[in-house]
Amino acid sequence: MRSRLVFLVLCICSLCGGENFLTAQTKDSSLTVEPIGVQGIEHLLHNRSGKILFLNVWATWCQPCVEEFPDIIRLYGQYHNAGVDFAAISVDYPDEIESKILPFIDSRSVPFKVYVTNIKKDEDFINALDSSWSGAVPATFIIDANGKQKSAMYGQKPFNFFKTKIDSVLGSK
Amino acid sequence: MRNAAIFVFLSLLVSSMLFAGEPVKVENFTLPDYNGVKHALTEFNKSKAVVLMFIATQCPVSNGYNTRMVSLFNDYKDKNVVFIGINSNKQESIDEVKQHAKEHGFEFTILKDDKNIIADKFGASVTPEIFVLNPSLEILYHGRIDDSRREAEVTSRDLRNALDEILAGKSVSVSTTKAFGCTIKKID
Repeated sequence: MRSRLVFLVLCICSLCGGENFLTAQTKDSSLTVEPIGVQGIEHLLHNRSGKILFLNVWATWCQPCVEEFPDIIRLYGQYHNAGVDFAAISVDYPDEIESKILPFIDSRSVPFKVYVTNIKKDEDFINALDSSWSGAVPATFIIDANGKQKSAMYGQKPFNFFKTKIDSVLGSK
Repeated sequence: MRNAAIFVFLSLLVSSMLFAGEPVKVENFTLPDYNGVKHALTEFNKSKAVVLMFIATQCPVSNGYNTRMVSLFNDYKDKNVVFIGINSNKQESIDEVKQHAKEHGFEFTILKDDKNIIADKFGASVTPEIFVLNPSLEILYHGRIDDSRREAEVTSRDLRNALDEILAGKSVSVSTTKAFGCTIKKID
């Protein structure tokens, strides 16, 4: 009876298709990968609760993304207590959470929130983030505490480049 | 930084002019293919359309389109449409481009854009990214091949639609779309 109930709940969750229901967890329960859609991105960008957002768009198949990830983790170490939220949105597919994304973030102990886009069309995803973005990954955006985009950085960037941008936004906060 | 600003400006300019329906004309250029033979764009001015495809050997998104690129070439080669691949990635050598073309059955010409000069002139930033030109070297279409990296989930074959309209003598109804993929790795 109990297993039937669990099965029923799981079916309802998957039918709902809500972003939160599909969250998967790593061995480390503090690490999750959560599918995100247009509304979720809108919320992430604009409901800042007084904090700046450093948002990286990446993929496990994108070598420059993988290469710059350690720098972003270092930046998190320096800035997460200084009023900067960190998040990453993967452009892998939601059905690759278990096979690709979780192993990646687990192996690097990624300390910030990681999402995966569940927007079907790449162009809709691009426009949800920044309509002037070409769609090339990696891409990184800094959003100020008022939800306004202050920096859009396309392609792989070095640690100090990101640091300068963050300092600039923090300085004008 | 200045180069990046110019690049973004050029990309936006091309997109906005295309969107506004104004033809954007590109300059002729000459690049070597992977056998070292030089090709000028003006060589192809007897064709009905020239499809320039910025592609890569190592990008999974570009590689996800390999079979689709072969199909496009096969479907349009007898309709006087020329397909040209351009590799502008700094870390992908001519030998790698040649080997990749052989492995994937690419029969179309592939040019090596050393120092990404042509990618910069076009404002290309992604692989795969498409530009369709007419014989006067005006851009008729710029953007993606289709709307999904997964072929089974494609709902809009944007490049095919553009080519079919060009071949039918019509103006291209959707002349700009967003390409999505790997950043073209350029020289610093």
